[in-house]
Amino acid sequence: MTTSGISRRGALRMFGIGALGVASAGVLGACAPSGAGTDAGGGDPKSKNFDFTSWSLNEEAAKPSIEKIIKAWEKAEKSSIRAVSYPYNEYLSQLTLKLGGGETTGAVHLDIAWLAAIAQMGRLADVGPAAAGGGYTDVALKSGVYDGTQYGLPWNIGSIGVIANSKLLKKAGIEKHPATIEEFEDALRELKGLGEGVVPYAAATKVAQLKDIFPWMQTFGCTLYEGGKVTIGDDASVDAVAWYKKLHDAKLIAADVDRFDARALFGQGKAAFYDDAIIGKGVTSAQSKDKTLAAAMQPVERPVLKAGDTPQALLWGGVIAIVKGKGQDAATEFALHTTTDRATTSEYFAARALPPSTTAGLAAPEVAKDAFTTEWTEKITRTATGSPFWQFAQSTQIDEAVAKHVQAVLVGREKPKDAMKEAREEVTALIKR
Amino acid sequence: MSTAAPPQKAPPPRGRTGARLSDGAFALLLTAPGIALFAAIIFYPLLSALITGFFRQDLRLPGREFVGLDNFAYWLNGDLFTILEQTLLFTVGATLAPFAIGFALALALNTGIKGSGFLRGVFLFPWVIPGVVVSFLWMWIFNANYGVLNGVLVQAGIIEESVAWLGRPGTAMLAVIVTKTWASFPWMMVMLLAGLQTVPRELHEAASMDGAGAVRRFFAVTWPQVRGVASIVLLLEFIWNFQHFDTIYVLTGGGPAGTTETFATAVYQTAFSGFDIGRATALGGLWMVLLLLLVVVYLRITERKGDA
Repeated sequence: MTTSGISRRGALRMFGIGALGVASAGVLGACAPSGAGTDAGGGDPKSKNFDFTSWSLNEEAAKPSIEKIIKAWEKAEKSSIRAVSYPYNEYLSQLTLKLGGGETTGAVHLDIAWLAAIAQMGRLADVGPAAAGGGYTDVALKSGVYDGTQYGLPWNIGSIGVIANSKLLKKAGIEKHPATIEEFEDALRELKGLGEGVVPYAAATKVAQLKDIFPWMQTFGCTLYEGGKVTIGDDASVDAVAWYKKLHDAKLIAADVDRFDARALFGQGKAAFYDDAIIGKGVTSAQSKDKTLAAAMQPVERPVLKAGDTPQALLWGGVIAIVKGKGQDAATEFALHTTTDRATTSEYFAARALPPSTTAGLAAPEVAKDAFTTEWTEKITRTATGSPFWQFAQSTQIDEAVAKHVQAVLVGREKPKDAMKEAREEVTALIKR
Repeated sequence: MSTAAPPQKAPPPRGRTGARLSDGAFALLLTAPGIALFAAIIFYPLLSALITGFFRQDLRLPGREFVGLDNFAYWLNGDLFTILEQTLLFTVGATLAPFAIGFALALALNTGIKGSGFLRGVFLFPWVIPGVVVSFLWMWIFNANYGVLNGVLVQAGIIEESVAWLGRPGTAMLAVIVTKTWASFPWMMVMLLAGLQTVPRELHEAASMDGAGAVRRFFAVTWPQVRGVASIVLLLEFIWNFQHFDTIYVLTGGGPAGTTETFATAVYQTAFSGFDIGRATALGGLWMVLLLLLVVVYLRITERKGDA
């Protein structure tokens, strides 16, 4: 029989030291302050290799044109770009986690609504010097600014508005675009009369895109946020939600619809109106079997409460931000090239119908003469405004809090007045956090 | 090659006490790596999470602030009991429905019907598909505007127009339970079939000779023999469903209006949509306490079975 050769005391001492070490590390680790936010990123900022993170790389219609830009850059600069993507609806949370864990480097594509949330993590580089010579329009440049610092190089700037299917409108005998809420409702009822499963207005009813309710609240006269106070909960916002509920109950809008469902319905010729960004034309027509749909898509002014009111629309766009650390310099050059190079922006516009953010890019003949883009700019972007909640890091939670209450109204779980009152309280609490 | 006996080895050096390692201490030493691993991957994250529950902490921002029991109070004064109720509704539904289906199929297959081997393979099919894929399949089936289910029901004249199965409070939870049932029944069927196959055929023959019918034989012979397996299967499925996430998250995300929110989705949404890691871990702590009660029941049952 063999013995271990280790004395009892020695073994217990070793075990004790080991256990104490693990426990101490655990307790210290558990008690240590955690969370995102070291100021400097890791890695060599001069590295030619970096990541490019974009939700568009997850979308069939957009992926080829972005990959083309990436490949052209890699070839010209003899570098390597790792393409990373997450679906749009998951993008912000995934990016936040990766960025917080120091796993994201290089360039990141951001919706302008998310800039404040990401910039507050302290990991984005100031791209002011690079932006200065980019030739961006003022509106575009401002979309990349948070708290006085330029964190994003604007890629595309536009708005979210209403798109109509002119073929369906004609079929329903609607000759003139409805200008007021009342006319709009009448038109929706005409469209409902077509039958065949037509959803007159494929408005968002799922939480993910129910932020689309904000322009309707503004249409009814709610300012959302004014003088440091949340105004959701006022009569105008309650009226807007009650009206939305009325459309829902009359089946003029459909239950369980988000942007992707709306595009699918519109693409199948089963929706006459839906809300989308200018990008919608390219995405929706590309996934439709009806090759004449693109020509039938019309940007229309959002109906107003009474004639003479300003049509409401939400500013929309994307910027490319740069993460401090590995590949920072090369990623900045890549972002500048992608957003300002004349040939690149024109080719990207031709592929995706997304207007560029530079003065020269917008003046390019293929952009300036594009009827849909021109019409969109005149009818929708002209009066579009940014959300007053974008200035807060909690802007996405604010959108979600309001959306959940609106959805609760739609499914009959809450009354509009109580729901909006609760939404105001939640939004106010989120802003104070 | 030398055949001489090897030289006698010196006895191993002794420790200062001169005592050799006892069997108990040696066993402890052998388990030490396992204990250290447990401490590193279970105990540390658990402790860290429980401590985080006492802080206000945003996942995106550095630092955190001690808030005492505020995060726990937030849930206890807020949605905790609604979430518990919905979690229990899902758990009970998604446990009993696949059990009933699985047991019925196991009984049928146990009769030795023709093609039972093939059928067993076919019935296992839903089980081998990843849960997320199953959820996406059913999401398309239940889709309000272009789903297969609505298409079939409208064509058959059962409904006049499409129903938002996942968008209405009354039907969303039902749809989630149906999906989970489809994914779970094969596992239950296999376990129960294994249990049924251990029932001695002689017992059935004897009962038949005594004049017992099929129902009587089921309650007097079959059930007592498989009761142990059935209780373990039910309890394990109950515990798993109590923690289940992917089906609910993919199908409804906890909606509409929070009517399918369970502990799993609420913790996820609070942490990764709300970025409020303090409240998320507080809810996780409360959830864990409830789960521990179930684990105690499971251990009691397995111990009793072991003693029997």
